[in-house]
Amino acid sequence: MEAGNPLLDDYVLSLMGVDRPRVCFLPTASGDADHYIVRFYRQFATRADASHVSLFRRDREGVESDVAEHLLAQDVIYVGGGNLVSLLGTWRAHGLHSVLRRAWRKGVVLCGPSAGSLCWFAEALTAFHTAPHGVAGLGLLPYSNCVHYDAEPVRREEYRRFVGDGMRPGYAADDGAALHFRGKELVRVVSSRPRARAFRVEPIGNEVVETPLTVEYLGARPLQLAASA
Amino acid sequence: MIDRPIVAEERRTILALGGGGFTMEPDNPALDELLLTLTDVKEPNILFLPTASGDPAGQINAFRARFGGRACVAEHLSLFHLHGSVRTLEEIVLEQDVIYAGGGSMRNLLAIWRAHGLDDLLVEAWRRGVVLAGISAGAMCWFEGGVTRSSGPPEPIEGFGLLPGSLSVHADGEPERLPVWLESVRDGSLPGGWAADDGVALLFRGRQMKGAFSSRPGAAALRTDAVEGELVRRRIEPELLGARPIDPGPPSADVVELRNVQRLRRGRL
Repeated sequence: MEAGNPLLDDYVLSLMGVDRPRVCFLPTASGDADHYIVRFYRQFATRADASHVSLFRRDREGVESDVAEHLLAQDVIYVGGGNLVSLLGTWRAHGLHSVLRRAWRKGVVLCGPSAGSLCWFAEALTAFHTAPHGVAGLGLLPYSNCVHYDAEPVRREEYRRFVGDGMRPGYAADDGAALHFRGKELVRVVSSRPRARAFRVEPIGNEVVETPLTVEYLGARPLQLAASA
Repeated sequence: MIDRPIVAEERRTILALGGGGFTMEPDNPALDELLLTLTDVKEPNILFLPTASGDPAGQINAFRARFGGRACVAEHLSLFHLHGSVRTLEEIVLEQDVIYAGGGSMRNLLAIWRAHGLDDLLVEAWRRGVVLAGISAGAMCWFEGGVTRSSGPPEPIEGFGLLPGSLSVHADGEPERLPVWLESVRDGSLPGGWAADDGVALLFRGRQMKGAFSSRPGAAALRTDAVEGELVRRRIEPELLGARPIDPGPPSADVVELRNVQRLRRGRL
């Protein structure tokens, strides 16, 4: 949901190979922020069967039926950004950890930026009213994850330090770069911005090594088409 | 741990609102003004925790509108949105004189505070004399239990248990809550306790209820216990706060200066 740049959203919608995929937005990490929900519908309502689940206003709005049933019937579950610790705490209180794991096993595409990325990994680097520290995510992906790698230089330093100190090896992504996993395997890295990068970060010998991954810029093809027209 | 001594139990204070206050009564500051009188500090630090509703701007703005012009230093703590604070949660919580928890989803409130370790810090704050207050979910959370609509229909839920018994809120404003509470007390899934109407605040010193106050004529509280499977109910008449409490007016020059000094101390100027 980058402003004016639908490339990553288009990519996610293409993954299911259906015309009008069912996409459910979970804005939990933002506290179900209204403006975020509005942005989601603006972006997805015309192209997908879009819905959202609010865990703060379950008595008033959002999906009326059983939340688990609704989530398991989706093609894509889109988790919004925000605070990872608040996200995981709220999900746990509503039993969503196991629902999302079931959805993943069932083949529902799980995606999201920032906290919506970190949550799927075994470990994530986060910083909030504390020095950066590791937080255990849902653990569907047995790696660590670091986001906003380019936007916040401190994160890069800290992530490398943490991996050096025993955080499990993992993946770091710049803003605009998306890591696409099938099962537990990273199959592709795509981006909405020409210069966005992603890295495998792991200790090799006594050093933490950052290996750049091949990133496919999703905008290349449409741009060429536009030029030839 | 920040140097703030533990106080005697009878000096630990909680004000629990069944409804009302700045988020529900924009034109009636009676309960919020009562809250500011509960601390000995002349210019108290007051912190708003809008967690139970996911930190919505509306609640935060209402908080600022209510307390911004009064003799206090008001700030809020967001657990969803980064605001560049370098202070730890412990520093933020323990430098307060009053902490006010907003309404919303009690299930989310408890889970999020626990996930951040804020529950333990708030208990510490209470033990050290910080006045705790809250409305709705933010009031029930201090008790052993309450009645929440976090998942839609009202159902009993366990709280932090700083205060003995259960609390049900909006007794007049959300009538579907009361029967669930009464039945839960009858069958023992919740301990006996209080139900408070909108506009009613219950004052606790230590673990004892010491007073009931109201911002609206006619509003009341109900004490209910189960005795051998039968409900024993007692109506509590609150003290009606002045219908039009004194407007403190704009802060004096002294107050403004004190505030600036406090902000400077925290490195915010």
